[in-house]
Amino acid sequence: MSLPLNVRQASACRNLVVDKLKFVEHQTGALSLGAFALLLLLFAAQTAAAQSPPAATALPAGSERAGVQPEGRASQASTQDLTSLPLGKGLPVMVRVGLYFQRITAFDDNQGTFTGTFDMRLRWEDPRLRYPAETTPRGFQEFRGPNAEQKLKEVWIPQVAFTNLKESPANQTTSLRIFPDGWVELMERTTGQFSVPINAGSFPFDKQSLDVEITVRRETTGEASLVVLQEDIDFSRPAQDLSIDGWTPGLVNIKRFTQPGWYGEFQSGLVVGLNVARKPVYVVATVFIPLLASLLIPLLAIWMNSTEEGEFKTDAFELANIIVGGLFAVIALNFTINAAYRSVATGDNTVTRLFGLNYVTLGVGLAVVVLLYRYNVPMRFCGRYVQEQMFSYLSWAVPLLAVGTALAFILVGAS
Amino acid sequence: MTFRRSAPLVLISAIALVVAAASIISSLLFTRMISSVEAKQFSLMHSIVAFNLRGAEDRAQARAAMIADLPRARALFAARDRAGLLAEYSKMFADQKDKYGVDQAQFHSLPPTSFLRLNDPENFGDDLSKFRPIVVAVNRDQTPRKGFAIARSGPAIVGVVPMFDPQEKHIGSFEFGIAFDDLLDNLKNAYNLEMAVFIDEKSLHEFAKGVDPAIYSDQNRVGKFIRFHSTSSAVFQSLVSDKDLNTTENTQYVREALGVTYGIVLVPLRNGAGDVVGMVAATSDFSASRSSRTRAFVWQALIALFSIVLLAGVTLIIIRGILLRPLEVITSRFATLSTENESAEIPEPDMLCDELKGLARQYENLRSARKREAE
Repeated sequence: MSLPLNVRQASACRNLVVDKLKFVEHQTGALSLGAFALLLLLFAAQTAAAQSPPAATALPAGSERAGVQPEGRASQASTQDLTSLPLGKGLPVMVRVGLYFQRITAFDDNQGTFTGTFDMRLRWEDPRLRYPAETTPRGFQEFRGPNAEQKLKEVWIPQVAFTNLKESPANQTTSLRIFPDGWVELMERTTGQFSVPINAGSFPFDKQSLDVEITVRRETTGEASLVVLQEDIDFSRPAQDLSIDGWTPGLVNIKRFTQPGWYGEFQSGLVVGLNVARKPVYVVATVFIPLLASLLIPLLAIWMNSTEEGEFKTDAFELANIIVGGLFAVIALNFTINAAYRSVATGDNTVTRLFGLNYVTLGVGLAVVVLLYRYNVPMRFCGRYVQEQMFSYLSWAVPLLAVGTALAFILVGAS
Repeated sequence: MTFRRSAPLVLISAIALVVAAASIISSLLFTRMISSVEAKQFSLMHSIVAFNLRGAEDRAQARAAMIADLPRARALFAARDRAGLLAEYSKMFADQKDKYGVDQAQFHSLPPTSFLRLNDPENFGDDLSKFRPIVVAVNRDQTPRKGFAIARSGPAIVGVVPMFDPQEKHIGSFEFGIAFDDLLDNLKNAYNLEMAVFIDEKSLHEFAKGVDPAIYSDQNRVGKFIRFHSTSSAVFQSLVSDKDLNTTENTQYVREALGVTYGIVLVPLRNGAGDVVGMVAATSDFSASRSSRTRAFVWQALIALFSIVLLAGVTLIIIRGILLRPLEVITSRFATLSTENESAEIPEPDMLCDELKGLARQYENLRSARKREAE
């Protein structure tokens, strides 16, 4: 394991010396220094190769972009830089991705975040890492904990990141398996909080996707591409006992995307999302019953009056009071629901539509009280019998239209 | 029959009928529009599948033609040097398999017999004339062909070209076969379509001796077909049944699975003899169009309700408020006038319509005359 590092160190040292000597040659123009430089170069290379490298000097994976180098022959394997992009299978390197949703501890649709533990499995083929199968009785080499960390610095790995992870992960453990045929399997368990976009358009019949965005940060799409095959789909699933309070977990959906990089290049990405459906029963009691009940307030103001020969019996002031009380009730309800379900406070959804309907119905109720009951506008222009018939008509038409509209809003939300 | 009840009833019924008819027609038009969008989506899916199958056939045939034209290949095959061919082309095949999804490569000698399978060098010498009609046709006509075939190592899209020795004498043929796995996975990645290939189980048992026996599991069995490869087994388990596969033409339908509405297209795979021995299925999420259809229906129903209620209101208020109710009051005043000495005036006679004003005036004249008589 240390041999490639020694060689790399020697190579780096050699390059450094050559650069320095080129500089000196340029400055002095003394060609006689060439022979001395060659000797110094050989000495430095041998010294570096003879020493065992400290771990701290190892090149951290991802600290710089791995160079693209042609794969050497088997006899030159020991001299290869294994941290460079594997070219043995052609480009791009197909990195197969699977994501297992092990646990979701919280989903806050108001904040647009969820917290959970996931196992991300990356698999790719690096022919430079092939070795005789008989050397591993288990069928693969496995590295865990510090060994895995060390090994990851010695071989090429795609620099993959969770781009919608909100903060540093609470916990992250890694395991690496290398198979005799050169397949590499990197398993990473991450616990963290992820941000997700919330679309509350169909609230409370909405389905959300708990997305984990995985993006290749270093390699372009021409160098490494994230793909999902059947085995990876089978792996990408929620745990059998996974449950989320107030939500029903569904299938895992995987979508590929590309992210613009520099110089017209793109980077490969995947969104692995667990579809979850809201349990609407929990919302009916707290949101829909108050909303539909408040719809009755302006209707009561219309129903509470009566007419005789077109003359109204109840004082308009009392009925206006009902409307004003209803307005305050709806405003209070609006504040309450917006505080509890911030995701539905803005945008177009069933709840905001029902609030809109409440305000419109209150407006209609107020118009009836003022124009009909207080100022008798229809009677002034068309006579008392028209006013009488208009009152009779409004008594059933306004409730029918209000209920019909509310029902339509709910059906549209549920569709 | 009273005019008070029957007239508004007739008028409101007529309004309701007209509005309902208009809404239904509008809804049908919208449904047709959505269906047209779905039809285009189906057509696109058919095109994607057909184009990619044809592309795979072309690639297989182009590769086969290149190898078949190489002087070294012609010389080695003419000399029936199996070991030489294997040494020459095994690395090429390994690279093609690793990088480009090529699954099979085979030299066929005459009469159609397997001379060398680069993908399975140990198995050769078997007669191909019974189960490889495309190989038979190529060697009979000495013309390249491409298509679907079930070979020993499984179903593939193949390109077969005749081979000639250096003296241009026909000596057999060469083929490349591209596996479905790679093709379907690439299609899913490119178009986000879920893909599957179903192969006739009997043909698989008969010809594809080299496939993994685990493929014949109950989970993969759909009627007489075996789901040979799919990009999402959970989706296809619910979407494709044996009845659906019982077709010989391009088919499309819409079905719901796992809470999502999918559009499915089935494209039959035919062997060289034209028999359907497999089916490629492609599915796409149709939830958006279906949801739009439901939403449009609900909104149209609501608009219809508003139209009917508002027009009914106008009808009721005009017939009853302007005509019937004042007439009822005038009639009752006349009745009082004829039976009792005391009679009341008609309230607000100026607000009555012109036709009733005359009647009200007559009532007032009569009432004034009665009053004068009484005095």
